[in-house]
Order: sequence, then C-alpha cells, then structure tokens
Amino acid sequence: MSGRAREQGSFAAYMLAAPFLGVFLLFVVVPLARAGVLALMQTYGPQDSRFVMLRNFTSLVQDPLFWRAVGNTLVFTAASVFIQLPLALGLAMLLNRPGLRGRGAYRLIFFSPQLMGLVFVAMLASIIFEKRSGLLNQALHAAFGTSLDFPWLQTFVMPTLIITTLWMYVGFNMVYFLAALQNVDQTLVEAASIDGAGPWARFVNVTLPAIRPVASFVVLLSIIGSVQLFELPYVMLNATAGPANRGLTIVMYLYQSGFETGDLGYASAIGWVLALMLVGFAAIQLRLARSEAKA
Amino acid sequence: MRTALETLIRSLSPGAAIIIAFAIVSAVALVAWPIPSRPGLEMWIFSPEHRLLYAPALDDRRDHDEPNVNLRVIGIPALKRRMMSGFFAGLQTADLIEVERQMAGQAFTGPLESVGFVDLTDRLASEGLLDQINTPSFGPWSSRDRIFGLPHDVHPVLLAYRADIVEAAGIDLSTVKTWADFRRVMRPLMVDHDKDGKPDRYLLGLWETDGDRFETLLLQAGGGFFDADERLAMDTETNARVLAELISWCVGPDRIAADVPDFTAAGNKLKIDGYAIAYIMPDWMCNIWRLQLPQLAGKVKVMPLPAWEPGGRRTSVWGGTMVGIPKTSQRVDEAWELAKDLYFSDVIARELYTRNDIVTPIKTYWDDPMFDQPDEYFGGQAKGRLYVEQAPLIPARTSSPYAKLALDRFRDAAVAVAEWARKNGTFDASALVPRCRDELARAETAVRRQMERNVFLEGAE
Repeated sequence: MSGRAREQGSFAAYMLAAPFLGVFLLFVVVPLARAGVLALMQTYGPQDSRFVMLRNFTSLVQDPLFWRAVGNTLVFTAASVFIQLPLALGLAMLLNRPGLRGRGAYRLIFFSPQLMGLVFVAMLASIIFEKRSGLLNQALHAAFGTSLDFPWLQTFVMPTLIITTLWMYVGFNMVYFLAALQNVDQTLVEAASIDGAGPWARFVNVTLPAIRPVASFVVLLSIIGSVQLFELPYVMLNATAGPANRGLTIVMYLYQSGFETGDLGYASAIGWVLALMLVGFAAIQLRLARSEAKA
Repeated sequence: MRTALETLIRSLSPGAAIIIAFAIVSAVALVAWPIPSRPGLEMWIFSPEHRLLYAPALDDRRDHDEPNVNLRVIGIPALKRRMMSGFFAGLQTADLIEVERQMAGQAFTGPLESVGFVDLTDRLASEGLLDQINTPSFGPWSSRDRIFGLPHDVHPVLLAYRADIVEAAGIDLSTVKTWADFRRVMRPLMVDHDKDGKPDRYLLGLWETDGDRFETLLLQAGGGFFDADERLAMDTETNARVLAELISWCVGPDRIAADVPDFTAAGNKLKIDGYAIAYIMPDWMCNIWRLQLPQLAGKVKVMPLPAWEPGGRRTSVWGGTMVGIPKTSQRVDEAWELAKDLYFSDVIARELYTRNDIVTPIKTYWDDPMFDQPDEYFGGQAKGRLYVEQAPLIPARTSSPYAKLALDRFRDAAVAVAEWARKNGTFDASALVPRCRDELARAETAVRRQMERNVFLEGAE
C-alpha cells in the first residue's frame, strides 16, 4: 500500500468513527466531566455556583438518610441475587425437563409480566397491596380471616417491592437460564449419571459449570438493575420514599436531592458514589468469574 | 496549511464529501437562522380548569386588540422541570407562570437576586394592591420580605362530615367547639354492628402518613415547621403537643381515625361507605368531591374546624397557587397587566367559586351574594359563606424551599411515634409528648443539616 493510500485509509477510518466519537464525547464524556466538577460545587443553576470542594462528600458520609438509602438498596440487591435468581434458575430447570408439553406456553406465561412495563406493574402492585380494598388483603381475609388493614405498603415496603420484582423479573431471567440449560452438553450429563452421580451432584458438577458464563452475566445484570432501583418504589409509594423512608433507594435519594431540593452538587456526589459502587460490584464479579474459570 | 486542506479534500470519497457539505451547510443555517420573536404573551398553567376560567377574559382581550395570550396547560412535573431548567440556565420560559406552593418554594433556594421570578413588592405597594389581597395569602409567595407572586386563592379549611349519618344519630354538632368536644360528641357513632371487635366506622379520615393533613392541623394550632422569620422551628412544644394528640387519634383500641386516602378509588369507596365520618376539607377539595363522589350529593355538610383550645382558631390552610413573572420575560410590564386582569377580575373571581369552589383572595369580592347561595351537594348549606368567614383567619405560612423536606421529615417523625406507641401500648396523648419531642428533634436536625449546607442561604436563618 502506498503512503498516500495508507494516509487516505486512516483518515477515512477517523471520519467513519467521527459520528460515534462526537456523540460519545458530547453525551457521555462531557456530562461525566461536568458531573465530576458539579460534585465539588454547590449550585443553583450555572449562574450561582460555588466550589465547596469535598463538602458534598463529607456531608454524604454523615447523612443518615444516605446510609438508609444504601441499606435499602443493598437489601433489595441481595434479594434479587439470592431469591430472584435461584427461583429463575429453578423455574428454567423445571421447564427444561425432557418431554414437557407446552413449554412455549409456560415460557410465555412466565415471561409475560415483562411485556407490561415497570410503571404499569408498579401501579397494579400498589392496588394489590392496598389496605382494606387491596386484592391481597381481601384474599387473605377471605381465606384466613386476617385483618383487612394489614399495612403492606406502610410497614413492609421492602418485602412488597421484592415480591413485585419477583413477579416481574423471575420469568425474564428464566429465559436466559433456559437458553443456557438447553446448551448444556447432554453427553456429559449422561456420563455423570452412568458414573453414579445423583441429581444434585449432576447439577453442581456438570450443569452449573456449564451455565456459569450466563449465570455470571445474569448476576451482574441483576446487581446493576437493583442498584439503580427507582421507578418501582417511586410509583408504588406515590412519589415518596414511603413511611420512615423504608422505600428510599440511592437513585431515589439522588432524585430527591437534585430535583426536589434542587441541590445538584449533592445529587452529583450521590451519582458518583453510585457509579463507584457499580464499578466495585462489576470488578468483584469479574474477579470471581476469572478465578472460577482458572480453577 | 494548504497542503493539509488539499490532503483532506483529496482523501474524501464523494459520499463523505457530500455528507460533510450537508453538515456544514445545515450547521451554518441553524446558527444563522433568526429565532422568531413570539407573538403576544406566553402563559403556562398546570390546571385545565384554569384554562376554562381564563378563556372569556382572554377572548375579551383579543377583541380589544390587546396582545394575544398563548395559554399552555402543562402537567405539574413537566411545568416544574421546564420552569426550573429555564431558571437554572437563565433561558426564556414564559411571560407568566402559575405554580403551586411546593414548586414555588424550590424557586427560592438561591440568593435573592437569583430568584427566577420578578420581585412584585414595589409594584403591589405603589399601585395600592397590597391591601386588596388577603394578607396571609402572600406568605407562600414571599421570600426574605419580598413578594414574587400574586396569590390565586386562599384555601381556607373546614371540616366536612357525613350529615346523613350524624343527623340520623341525632347528634347536634353546634355544641362542638373544640377537638375534645368533637371526640366526645361524635364517639357514639363508632359502633360495632358486625361484632368483629372493631368499630364499623371511625370519626375522622386521618392517618399518621398523612403529612399534608397533619401540617394543616399543626398550622391551625399555631405550630408549623418554620417561624415567621423563616427560621426552622420543628422541635417545639406546640408541635409536640399536636403531634402527640394526632397520633393518639390514630393508634390503640380507642382510636378515632382511619386511613382513607384521597384521590384513589379505594379511598373514594371508603368515603362512600361512610368508613370515616369527617374529613379535613380545604375549599378546593369540595369540587373534587363533587366530581369524584356524586353519590354523596346532599349527604355532606361542612363546619368550622374544631379548635385546639376554647376560643381558638377554627380554620387552617392547605395548598395554594400563584402567578409569577419570570425575569427572562421580555414583556414584564405587559405580563403584569395581564396578571392583574386575570387575578383581580370580578368575573373570574366569581367563576373561580362557581366552577371550582375556590374562594378568591381579593377581599372586596367576599361580599358577593354568590357565597350565600345554598349548595345542594353540601345539604343546601351556604357553604361559600362558611369558607369566606374563615378566609381572613387562615394561619400564616412561609415559602421556605425546605418546606417539602421538613414535611417529609415530619412525616417520618409521625410514623416513628405511631409505631413506638403501638409497640409499647402507649396510647395516651400526654404520655406520647416526650417521644414526639425526641422524634421532632431528630427531624429538625436532619432538615437543619441540609439547610446549613446551602451556602446561598447562609445568614438567612
């Protein structure tokens, strides 16, 4: 290739990448940098801002509401990983049984809450968990004579949110697991059976290692989604964090600080802490996945 | 330089050259294109009802060749976002914006000179308009002694009750002057017909999570979250005493209050069923009941709120709307004239009541006979007159940008006290007061921490 042709080729490559780079720079790099600066400032619009250096971060460390939000978010994340995903995997294994009739229909039924959208699910759930007239309390009252005034959305905010997300996401994650299970090498499973391995031993020693890449991906996706929890409590709790902030999540606190109190600097600081948390989770997950792959 | 340009041109394929040429031409056109100035005035409102209210006056302006008014109805969240982003960036928004109380508070967060609305104090004083408007109604629209909006309403609060149930039981409410009277006189209505160990109905629609209603009753008692100088004052004896009393209404075997939410199908069903007898009722809520609960027509009446002590205040205040002129408006004087046309119009004041049940803040219109008309929905009462009589007596409020935060933390305190009471079996109001002081102190500390971080309000407290 002549020098001129090489020059033309590299220039064309830059030109082809330019639209993406332009958009990436404008909508990702610049806002990120701006948010970084904003986290060190107290602002009231671009006209009124003052550098307060790390004051937003030191306030955050001493802010009990922030820690409440972190606690709630971690509880929700733990429930997603340790309740939702095992349920999804169990459901996938049931549907993966050979000779099961109507597998497609079951799959559609379990996946269907996803088709409605989170806001609609949240509205439905808030009606179901309503005191007195709510479907759940009415059903429990009819079956066991329990009080109609059981305050699901007042006292049991986090369990209510977790139950709602189970309904919505178990079927969604099940699809990933089912796809992974269908790719497990059946000759290995049969060989293990011949060697005398029981169902649990086959699951732990054959199935689980085979679906590990997909499982790692689903765990990471679940953690990221859970840490970003906002719309569900926002709709279910009527744009509040619920009684005694039981439904306050990190993103909800970010929203309240930035868009209700108008403290954009503080909200940026919360955003950075959230970003660091996500990077931390992803790093741990990657390290675990790599060490398991090596083992 | 020339070599670089030549290299650039030579290296482009015809397609890339065309794309770049288009990009350059369109960018230049975009920058050079003149932004057409808006004809007439732009006004943003959040209530579709207000569009109907203002339409005749705006048509009249058009007939008289006055500047056209482009009225836009925008939902509250969108309006708030547009307004605040305009204020943040110093960009043009509208010439007039109607905002409700908590939206306005946020506009007062920064230094006084950065408040996005035009300071109307001197205009109101020089044109002699201050005296025409109910003075406490300026409270939510004033910051650091400056007024930034014209009040749209007063929103006095009365007590609505199920007259059909009360009168059938032979109860005479004219003897009820205080909340203690209310509890004593109405108690016989809490009967347990189905023998399930719980009353079939309660006396008041109120719950520990009802921050707005709790604030309304705090204000009635002379409490609140901020003092007259906008200083934070949550942990006070008055607030603790009222909070303890309200919690004692919501907890324990002898509770008189029940959770009946507003604006929900479930809450409306409970209202129709008579699950609670009485409700805190601002004037604006009358129209909502009329529309959402037609089944209760003729079955409801209103009376002044029972006072906290004999001879005490028989009303309170809940909600509010103002109109303000953004500083970025290029037609401030015309916008001011329009604001006066709409807010001081006797026709609109009359419509405001007949359409929306809302009492105008313009005192001279309070003698209008329309307020004496019997209202069939409210059992033929002259309901308007009852509201107007209480209008000058509403408690003063402040416009602190931290009002929402204070309300949220107050609600946390109320929930914490109620849960503590249930857990410990302590249901007596006087026994709850120390706990209320502890929780209010915690709430005040949380709000103060946020306020002290605001470098723009330093010295304002």
